[in-house]
Amino acid sequence: MSLVIRFKNFLDETGNIARFTARFFSVGIKPRYENKELFNQCYIIGYRSLPLVGLTAFIMGLVLTMQLRPSLVDYGVESQLPVMVGLAIVREIGPVITALIFAGKIGSSIGAELGSMKVTEQIDAMTVSGIKPFKYLVATRVLATTLMLPLLTILGDAISLFGAYLGVNIRSVTSFDLFFLQVFKSLDFSDVLPAIIKTLFFGFAVGIVGCYKGFNSTKGTQGVGISANSAVVLSSVMIFIIDLLAVQITELMGLN
Amino acid sequence: MRNPKANNIKLGAFVLSALVLMIFAFFIIGKNNNIFGNDFRLKVQFSNLNGLTKGNNVLFSGLQAGTVKEVELINDSTIEVTMQINSKVKSFIHKNALAAVGTEGLMGNKVVNISPVKGISKKVEEGDLLKVKNTANMDEIIAKLSKTNDNVAIISEVLKGTVLRIDSSAILKLINDQSIGINLKASLKNIYKTTSNANEMTIGLNHLVNDIKKGKGTAGLLLTDTSMASTLKDAIVQIKAAGVNANQMTNQMNTMVKDLNHELTNGKGPLNRLLKDSLTAKNISLTIENLQKGTDGFNQNMEALKHNFLFRGYFRKLDSKKKEEQSELLKSSQKK
Repeated sequence: MSLVIRFKNFLDETGNIARFTARFFSVGIKPRYENKELFNQCYIIGYRSLPLVGLTAFIMGLVLTMQLRPSLVDYGVESQLPVMVGLAIVREIGPVITALIFAGKIGSSIGAELGSMKVTEQIDAMTVSGIKPFKYLVATRVLATTLMLPLLTILGDAISLFGAYLGVNIRSVTSFDLFFLQVFKSLDFSDVLPAIIKTLFFGFAVGIVGCYKGFNSTKGTQGVGISANSAVVLSSVMIFIIDLLAVQITELMGLN
Repeated sequence: MRNPKANNIKLGAFVLSALVLMIFAFFIIGKNNNIFGNDFRLKVQFSNLNGLTKGNNVLFSGLQAGTVKEVELINDSTIEVTMQINSKVKSFIHKNALAAVGTEGLMGNKVVNISPVKGISKKVEEGDLLKVKNTANMDEIIAKLSKTNDNVAIISEVLKGTVLRIDSSAILKLINDQSIGINLKASLKNIYKTTSNANEMTIGLNHLVNDIKKGKGTAGLLLTDTSMASTLKDAIVQIKAAGVNANQMTNQMNTMVKDLNHELTNGKGPLNRLLKDSLTAKNISLTIENLQKGTDGFNQNMEALKHNFLFRGYFRKLDSKKKEEQSELLKSSQKK
């Protein structure tokens, strides 16, 4: 494949994803809503992901604290460790790590599930039986990811901060009250709100990419694997791109 | 999926816990930021913010009272800072309170310190402009410190010189010399003796003066006897009169001598003849010779008379009288 064809394919893919997104907004938003399936997906996507997200968040908070500590001790500002860790977790580490874990777990599962349904022609069967597959399968999943990732991020931040509190207490002693006060004293709405808003986009990107890849998978069982894999890779990349955009936008809005 | 109801409960718990956490976090942050509380605004105009920015804390007597809401340049030397203050603190801030830009710790964030001032004043209202308290910032302090340091260096240099001079001076040697102390002690003893003598002397003098005052002794008489003073005065008057007389006499004598001189030189009168005429001189000497001869003869006559029986008794009486007078004179001199 020459570079031109690759580039053409890339543009084609981008265009298709854009169409798919537009289709979600045109078809998925409109009633009737598949509420039962939405709640079911929310349960699977949100609740089932919590242990994994919680574990990674806890470890991340603990490790980040222990890693930051020596350099802060060098500067003689060890007392500012909770402030540093709190800001890092709430602003960046929490949302991005959670979203990446989420992409790995949910993006791949959506891609594989929808891909296998596509390959085994279940989606076509649904169309025949009068159920709109896009509304039933895609819209519920995308909405679920969009709504669940912020909640997961908030819970993940909380668990991560608890991990950081333990991390501070490994080498020195601080009361939970003091740690809590220090963290929240340094936090502002301009730290928390952009972080939560961007996770909505992360979740949306994971849902859309996963659904697109699954919905458009071909070539039998091999195609299911490819769609699952590319769903994770693309959604992870999308998360970083959105993160970059988010930081630029908050900077422009003067919230940073 | 088998038990959708149980799943929904789990999902609800999950969603609720996340939402509660989010609202709780917002509430805590909002409490810091005074967004949910009803608060009010105060203004301060600084000439230099020293890096104070929007969002920095406002402390009232060291208590977290609000945040800096707005920083606005009014002109080249005035920057207006609008602060959002918690309404709980409102009733404690008076209009005469002073605001200053400070630092959290030595190197920390900038803060606005509002400090109360003693004295009666009304409580602040929405949008009041507080007065500025001037505080030294770090740079000024360091600049002043360096000046102080220079001064200390100069002073210590001078002190060093002074101390060295004192160390090598004669005074220090004097202080160290023990014999001087002994000498000083002896000198002091002598001085003591002298003064005691002087004291005795003055006591004696005092007695003397008292005696003189009372008129005892010759000096007392001299100084106190008024009659003597009058007699002395008289005597002096008489002496003065005598002097005048003497003066007159000398004048007269002077004229007399002049006349005599005149007569002598002009050759008139008996004196001139007596002194200048050689003939007269011869006559005089002749006369004197004759007189000599006459007296000799008279002497012989007298001797003859003594021996004459008629006058012998008279002469004897004369001799005995002379002898008596002489013995009386001797006796009186022995008595004295």
